[in-house]
Amino acid sequence: MSLVQVLFYFMGFITLASALIVATSKNLVRSIFMFFITLFALAGLYVLALADFVAVTQIVIYVGGILVLILFAFMLSGKEALAAAQLQSNRFISLSNLPALLLALLFLVVMINVIFKADVANLQWIKEANAVKNVIGTNESMISNVGINLMTRYLLPFEAISVLLMVALVGAAHLSRKEDTRV
Amino acid sequence: MISLVDFMIVSAVLFCTGMFIIVSKKNSIQILIGIELMLNAAILNLVAFGKYDRINNGGQMFALFAIVLAAATTAVALAIILNVYKQYKTIDPDKIKQLKD
Amino acid sequence: MNKALPYQDIQTIYFAIAVVVLPFAAFVVNLLFFTKSKLSGWVSTLAILVSSILAVIIFTRVWNVQQIHVKYLWFIIGDNYLYTGILLNNLSVLMLGLVSVIALPVHIYSTAYMKDDAGYSRYFQYLSFFCFSMLAMVIMDSLILLYAFWELVGFSSYLLIGFWFDRANAVQANKKAFIINRIGDIGLLTAIIILFNQFHTFDIVRLFKEGGLIANSTIKNGLWISGNIQTPIIWQYIACIGIFLGVAAKSAQFPLHTWLPDAMEGPTSVSALIHAATMVAAGVFLLGRVYPLFNPAELTTLAVIGCFTAFMAATIALTQNDLKRILAYSTISQLGYMVMAMGIGAYATSLFHLVTHAFFKCLLFLAAGVVIHQIKHIKEDNNLDIDPQDIANMGGLRKKLPLTFITTLIGGLALIGLPLTSGYLSKEGILVQAFEWAEHKGSIYMLLPVLASITSWLTAFYVARLILKVFYGDMNLPTLHPGIKIHIGDGGWRYKLPLVLLSLCCLFPLFSFNPLLHTDSWLLYGFSSYKDYTENIFEIIVPVLVNVLSLAVMYYAYTIYIKQSRWVSSQTGLLYRISFNEWYIDKFYNRVVVKSVLILSDAVFWFDRKVIDGFVNLLEKTGVFIAGIASWFDRHIVDGILHLAATTVQAIGGFARRFQNGKVQYYLFSMLLAVIVVFILKILIWN
Repeated sequence: MSLVQVLFYFMGFITLASALIVATSKNLVRSIFMFFITLFALAGLYVLALADFVAVTQIVIYVGGILVLILFAFMLSGKEALAAAQLQSNRFISLSNLPALLLALLFLVVMINVIFKADVANLQWIKEANAVKNVIGTNESMISNVGINLMTRYLLPFEAISVLLMVALVGAAHLSRKEDTRV
Repeated sequence: MISLVDFMIVSAVLFCTGMFIIVSKKNSIQILIGIELMLNAAILNLVAFGKYDRINNGGQMFALFAIVLAAATTAVALAIILNVYKQYKTIDPDKIKQLKD
Repeated sequence: MNKALPYQDIQTIYFAIAVVVLPFAAFVVNLLFFTKSKLSGWVSTLAILVSSILAVIIFTRVWNVQQIHVKYLWFIIGDNYLYTGILLNNLSVLMLGLVSVIALPVHIYSTAYMKDDAGYSRYFQYLSFFCFSMLAMVIMDSLILLYAFWELVGFSSYLLIGFWFDRANAVQANKKAFIINRIGDIGLLTAIIILFNQFHTFDIVRLFKEGGLIANSTIKNGLWISGNIQTPIIWQYIACIGIFLGVAAKSAQFPLHTWLPDAMEGPTSVSALIHAATMVAAGVFLLGRVYPLFNPAELTTLAVIGCFTAFMAATIALTQNDLKRILAYSTISQLGYMVMAMGIGAYATSLFHLVTHAFFKCLLFLAAGVVIHQIKHIKEDNNLDIDPQDIANMGGLRKKLPLTFITTLIGGLALIGLPLTSGYLSKEGILVQAFEWAEHKGSIYMLLPVLASITSWLTAFYVARLILKVFYGDMNLPTLHPGIKIHIGDGGWRYKLPLVLLSLCCLFPLFSFNPLLHTDSWLLYGFSSYKDYTENIFEIIVPVLVNVLSLAVMYYAYTIYIKQSRWVSSQTGLLYRISFNEWYIDKFYNRVVVKSVLILSDAVFWFDRKVIDGFVNLLEKTGVFIAGIASWFDRHIVDGILHLAATTVQAIGGFARRFQNGKVQYYLFSMLLAVIVVFILKILIWN
């Protein structure tokens, strides 16, 4: 049981626990903040998966951008939305939740079954990658790798995604404009 | 070292939790959070497999792009939720059933 | 038509047809044109006058001259040829003349008697119809046609008895007469059918002439043989019984005599014509026609029944109080004499008595009609509540109705059979021949003539009683109802003329120039010959004895009723009661026969209503029930299937509709469910 594994279990536990609390919380604010914790724990998991740049990007964009956006959207929408959101059933395993619960459990069962059946450790391309040492090392930073790949191999998706961001920005701004009563 | 299977199990649980939230929550913003959770599960999976592709680094690149797209999605989704609230005065998806037969 | 007849015979035939058709024409003319007018009476009277003149002409041409018989082919069935035709022999022309000559004074009398009646024209229609049927019956040569007119005569009698149909008694009486006549008709029809079966012909001449079919038929070994047809002898007996039933019904013999006293409900002139002189004589006429059919045993039976009827009716007439009922029972008694005479073989004398009886009985009835009419006047003038036919209300009428008295006296003496009257000749003939017959047969048969003689004395008694109570003595009405006015008289020429004419015919000169010897009568020699009548001791003893005792009985009656010096028996004695209640025969019939028929008809009615109607109702209920089931079936099952289909579709639609509830999460859930199901199936179950 090395330290890495302990860390992994700890991070994994936090992720899952906070995700569960997000799922079961009736209070919207509480769930948003728990999501906040989930995202941080996920970033930790990324680090343990030797993807440091993705972890930082996760924190910057997800937590700093998306979560804040959600928070602000929620808080600035006023009391009516808050009040409406409070009306939920008290119990976790209530009749309306039961089908969703069953569905989720079924999906879980199927997925875990597939995971174990797929025997990912013995995949062909993974074996080859292990053979040619195409594996990310544990002590190197991935920033240069990501940068070079971004500008060379993945340039087109990079440009496309920037266009897309712009489109999304314009679209979101337009969608949420204030309606002028006199047009 | 941490095996792939562990990452994949975590990712599966996250995914299912996200699915549960989407299907069962009565608040659109919580549904949005559920969608984010599912996306994050997928990204974790990508990153876990990305360890074995150092040269192309497909896993981590895809993860980056996915994060960016998630952001865009969330922005637009929130704008939509705002408009829905303006129209129907509620963000409970059960109340918005004008397309009912 | 038989072309070999000489011209005069053909004219006679045409006269005969005219005699029959004239009354029928009068009937039709009255029916169509004179239903409300008094002229109908004169139309009928004119018709019967011409008929009687023609009948007398025919009589002179045919009587003891020759027999005229014409036949005409009527129709053919298979091998059987049926003829119609007219037979004019002695019997036919005698009856033809008798009926039309008696009917003429009755018609004249009726024009006065019925002049105040509302149904005047209807009366003459019926009277003419009766004359037509009776006249047609006597000249028919075919048994079938004779039967047809026999029935028509019965029918006319029914119409005339119930002439005043608003009286309950009249309706009951005519029903009774018709039903009893019907019994006789059944007997006669049975006999005719048996005769046809045996001899294959209805022709009276061929059957009954001397040397005819019946004379040539023999009875051997229990079989009735004629030609090559053999039938068991029982049929001959049944034929004779049938004939006898017909005679008994029509001529009021025991046991079918009960209708005649009740038939007095009709008008008195009708009683005079039909129920005294002519229709009731039809039975004796029938006996005259079919006489050769009977064998000696059957003739003896006939004689016994005739004698018994005569005796019984005479005993009943002794105590009756209704004037017409006395005369009715007297008619039954005299008809019994005629039937007895036929039975003992005195064929000619029987017919002789028929003719004389017709005259004096008709006279007596017409006179009774006058008396009753006058008592009715008294009743209406003074508003009394009396029965005009009860002889207790009469008395001392000889001063008020002198002509009626004299004619009634003549008729009554003729009925008793005293010398110088026609009745003496015929009745003595019967009595003498009865004694001769009994002498030949044996001592037990002597009972018959003795009984006949006793009946003759009883006749004397009741006729004397009748005349004494009606015309002699004092009328007790003024004493019972003081202050009543009695204005009665003999009536106009239309009452007097018929009475006078008929009374002249009751005296001897019409029938014989010798008032004391019956064998001198010309009428007998139409049916027999001199050699049939031998001189013997009875010819002298019997008339003397009978008439002397009759006179004694008449004096005896005088002492009882006028001098009132003797009583015979009290009114509560047994013999009196038997006589007064008509030997309880009528009551017996009512209780036994009529009641059982009514019970049977009630039972049949119950059966019809409960079982047959019940069956029909059951069918109806079953039909309705089945229809109800079918309707239920149609409504619940057939429509139910449709409704089931519709409801199923609706349920499926409603069910399927719920999947489109417009909730996004629901759609998402169902999509994911489908995916996971596919995954589970693919990964976990199959593989």
